[in-house]
Amino acid sequence: MLSLVSSSQPSATSNDEGEARSLIDAVSMCRNIAGRIGAESFSLFFTAVHGEARRLVPVFDETFPGVSPVTRRLSGPDTTDFVRLVSTTTCPLWWRGNGAPTFLDAQARVWTREVAPSLTKQSGIAFPVANDRRRLGAIIFTGNEMKLDEELLCDTHAECFDLFAQVAKLREQECNAQRPMSKRELECLRLTANGLTSDEIATALGLSVHTANQYLTNSTQKLNAMNRIHAVAKALRSGMIA
Amino acid sequence: MAYAAPIVETQDANAPVTSRTGLARFMRRICAEMGAQRYMLVQPSVERGPKSVSIITSNWVFDALEDLGSEGIARIIESGVAVSAGARARPLLAASATFLTAEERRALRDHGHIETHCRRLVADGVNVYALFSSETPGAISGAALSRAHMKCGYALVQFFAATGGRASADPLSERERECLMWVSEGKTTDEVALILGVSSNTVNSYIAHAIQKFRASNRAMAIATAIRSGII
Repeated sequence: MLSLVSSSQPSATSNDEGEARSLIDAVSMCRNIAGRIGAESFSLFFTAVHGEARRLVPVFDETFPGVSPVTRRLSGPDTTDFVRLVSTTTCPLWWRGNGAPTFLDAQARVWTREVAPSLTKQSGIAFPVANDRRRLGAIIFTGNEMKLDEELLCDTHAECFDLFAQVAKLREQECNAQRPMSKRELECLRLTANGLTSDEIATALGLSVHTANQYLTNSTQKLNAMNRIHAVAKALRSGMIA
Repeated sequence: MAYAAPIVETQDANAPVTSRTGLARFMRRICAEMGAQRYMLVQPSVERGPKSVSIITSNWVFDALEDLGSEGIARIIESGVAVSAGARARPLLAASATFLTAEERRALRDHGHIETHCRRLVADGVNVYALFSSETPGAISGAALSRAHMKCGYALVQFFAATGGRASADPLSERERECLMWVSEGKTTDEVALILGVSSNTVNSYIAHAIQKFRASNRAMAIATAIRSGII
């Protein structure tokens, strides 16, 4: 799985699975989604949280590896209210460009929220997304020729979630070349999260207390954590344990 | 036996979901669309302690709820079968759910939950699980299920906004939450005290209260509970 050679071999099923092996795959998947809703451009963002402040950090757009003016505008400093909204809601947000028509049908409008049109010249729709590891983001499509009904809205949003999860995973793989956790280490972390003490973990797993403690120390180091509780929090947030 | 007989909906399908009856009507509609008979919207309940849930809406028969109990339902949503938005459907088959007791498996089967889809929703930051079951394996359409998943999230946002209730999402005070958040970032009691500008005793007391409210046995478990329920 982790071998570096095997990934260069395109497998016949990879396209059917719709799995992004690189950011380039993800961009073309996003382009397909944009095509289905008639959007001219698209941008994918991570939401960065600094205390109370939120900012959209661009990952890619239709000009990949460049950065489009729309993306630059959306990740700029004067979109604070919009970013706050998009990072706290689950419903898609949309706006109309100058003189552009409403592009959602009546039923789709029930589930979405219209916001002030000052963000982009053209009409746009922002899909808030998140992955299992509580990483937040948004995928934003713009264009004056978009058309969405309820069905397409839901399908598109679901695809956005899937795409975002894959992009977040790619990013994570890039960032942490950490040592993999062993099964025992994960088991000890999971039991710690469930409130067991080292003694109880040792009994549950049939180990000595010292071994249980050693597993926990190892996992704390591997996760680059300050202490056990920090390690449990990191493992939960990164989805290593449920 | 006819489970949910098709109900003629006289209400406008375009109406936003603003009440409990509206939510139930909405759930019946999407169940009919995907071919499911039973639904449940449920959240892990941190107030009532581990392995407990609070049900937002459901058309499960009383006996099924009794037989599974809060614990059985908690086991289903925590078992890892829950699927997030956009992910491929992964049904839970009553016969092969090894994380349930034999009795719970029998209860699911006897009450017509032969196949259950467990979906993880996020409605404006609140974690909710949707369970859709069918008496016929494979009867639930994947495309309709994926759409229903998104719509449930949207409907819950409307429901929470209209009823003002995010149910039992967060029993902690702001200070308790802050303390837990810093502890989860690896800070020691003394460091948290410094960050928040209070004494170490105060920090310890905030954390002790949080542990109590979650009915957790120690700090690690309290942190885990808070992360699992999306509080920190």
